[in-house]
Amino acid sequence: MSQIRPGRPMNLWRLEWLRLIRTPRALALGAIFIFLGLIEPVFAKYQSQILRHVGNGVRISFPPATPAAGISSYVSEINGIGVILIVVIAAGAFTFDAHHGVATFLRTRVGSIWQLVTPRFTVNALAGAGAYLLGALAAWYETDLLIGSVPAGEMLAGVLCACVYLAFAVAVTSAAASVVRGMVGTIGLTVVVLLLLPIADTLHAVQDWLPSTLASAPVDLLNGAHLSHYLPAFGVTVAASAALLAVAVARLGAREV
Amino acid sequence: MPGAVVAGGLARPLKLPPHLLAALVPVLVLFAALTIYCLIDLYRAESVRSIPKAAWAVIIIAVSWPIGPLAYLFFGRVRDQRRKESAPVAGVADNHAWAGADDARAGVADNHAWAGADDARAGVAAYPAAAGAAGQPIVTTTGLTRDYGGTGLFDVGLSVPRGCVYGLVGPNGAGKTTLLSILSGVRRADHGTVSLGVGRERLSVCPDVPEFDGWLTAYEVVDLARVLVASRTPGQRGDAGPVVRDALGTAGLADSANRKVGGFSRGMIQRLGLACALVSDPELLILDEPTAALDPAGRAELLNLVAAMRGTRTVIFSSHILADVQRIADQVGILRDGKLLYQGGTGDLINTYLRPSWLLRIADDAAPVTAALRNQAWATRVEPAGAGAIRVDATSIEAGEQGIPVVVAACGARQVSCEPVAADLESAFLALTGTSAMEPR
Repeated sequence: MSQIRPGRPMNLWRLEWLRLIRTPRALALGAIFIFLGLIEPVFAKYQSQILRHVGNGVRISFPPATPAAGISSYVSEINGIGVILIVVIAAGAFTFDAHHGVATFLRTRVGSIWQLVTPRFTVNALAGAGAYLLGALAAWYETDLLIGSVPAGEMLAGVLCACVYLAFAVAVTSAAASVVRGMVGTIGLTVVVLLLLPIADTLHAVQDWLPSTLASAPVDLLNGAHLSHYLPAFGVTVAASAALLAVAVARLGAREV
Repeated sequence: MPGAVVAGGLARPLKLPPHLLAALVPVLVLFAALTIYCLIDLYRAESVRSIPKAAWAVIIIAVSWPIGPLAYLFFGRVRDQRRKESAPVAGVADNHAWAGADDARAGVADNHAWAGADDARAGVAAYPAAAGAAGQPIVTTTGLTRDYGGTGLFDVGLSVPRGCVYGLVGPNGAGKTTLLSILSGVRRADHGTVSLGVGRERLSVCPDVPEFDGWLTAYEVVDLARVLVASRTPGQRGDAGPVVRDALGTAGLADSANRKVGGFSRGMIQRLGLACALVSDPELLILDEPTAALDPAGRAELLNLVAAMRGTRTVIFSSHILADVQRIADQVGILRDGKLLYQGGTGDLINTYLRPSWLLRIADDAAPVTAALRNQAWATRVEPAGAGAIRVDATSIEAGEQGIPVVVAACGARQVSCEPVAADLESAFLALTGTSAMEPR
């Protein structure tokens, strides 16, 4: 009989941590964010030369790259690929009802759906924030090396704003998982909601209040914007995230398996 | 800055601007790390998906970075290395050998199970004693209705005595899973009430198809099940090790405790579901088709285990294998089209809906015994059934069980065997549900 290795005690927080590190989730998050952080400033710096090679000698002139442009290139990629990746990973955690056996296992044992939602939200939001930070540090390093120095205060403030937006994206995913049961549907609904926000961003009346404003904060702060400008969006995003989590808990609690 | 140092050395021979090379060094390090990780993972993997390992190695190395390594991670890697079914796993290897057994083998194993379960069967098997019948109901439902548009449950009044093994039987779509789901609290009834004699934290459920995250070990899954319940039950926080080990051992998974669940066969997953249900020492255990995925030997083990729980905890289990229900259930409920057609003792059901019959084998001349049996008031039919064999029908199970040995002894005959014939739950079920020509007495 083989020896049973007890290991560390299990709980729902450790479950989410293991979900990240025992599957390609953590690796994919880290690798893609760091990759984009390393490569995007290079593209920003050498985009003229790259386009000249790709475009068969067609010469396109760009103004000299600025440190903000280096970070901007990273931020714009993350707001697309990075956010979708975080949504996909979060959806995998929140769609426990997609599997009848898993849903029965969890739902017949927990006292409240909060017990299931809180660690899933927290761990995925922190993982997204951690990956974003790593990517931002890589982009910072590359930008500093190739283009010019990036002010630390503005950079860190921008990263903080972006991380709050990513947490909001995870909260949207949790609410979407309470509306649709499957993983693909949850991802689709979340992406649609997150895409609609930038469209609403065109309305000047609400522009400063929308969570999507925070996504571009790292660039805007480097371009001279003040952190106080993002306080309304910051407050709305935090409140909206809490509300979305409450909606998710209420709907998941009412759902039948 | 290490990148700049490396870049300084490489910039001249490569004819690249030093700062560009310095910028690319971290990218190259990242790619190299990812590639090495993938190659190590590929080397250690027992198998990969889609194409051979060598082809994945080529893709990882040759396809543009980082597409090759990422393609392997997402499409090539077998997340949960599934061991071959024949892998020797002490304690359960024999059971695996039965996996995929055809019906004929299942029948043979069934007999083995009977032979090996004498103690558990005592007073339980064919005509279970109503040990739990006298207990107070631990589950009571009144007018329970869940209408899915013509199907579902309709006006079900369940009464499960405390400490009994309650078998819920019925054809597919009869409403068994719906009923158990409502009892478990994962579905709601449209009308009616459910009264539980225990708190929800003292109730454990094992669904018909348990599912677990494949990257957890069996130990972690059972420990998680324990922790979730313990967090709601004061006094249950303690040393997890022995409790989890016991549950795994009871379910026959002690040797697989450290294995990832993703590599388990369906039968092992079913056992793991049972271990999760048992780890919290529930008062009420709900098992939905617990033997559905088990091989015959595993089925027999599980049935013995459930039978042994009688008196210590209440077990409600559904099954479409009537022999299983007959073997261990002292109470039975028959569902059909969402309605509870019968509820009561298993023996009572057979007594009520079937004329009990035995095949008696005598070592000597059977004629005197046949004649003596024909004179018994309780014997409704006595017919020779070949050399030394007599078929005896009785008015009731008790009358036959008590009367036949007395007659054989009075005749001075040597009895070889006396087996019940056709007086099984399946026949009673068919009679009750009107799918047989047999009429109730």
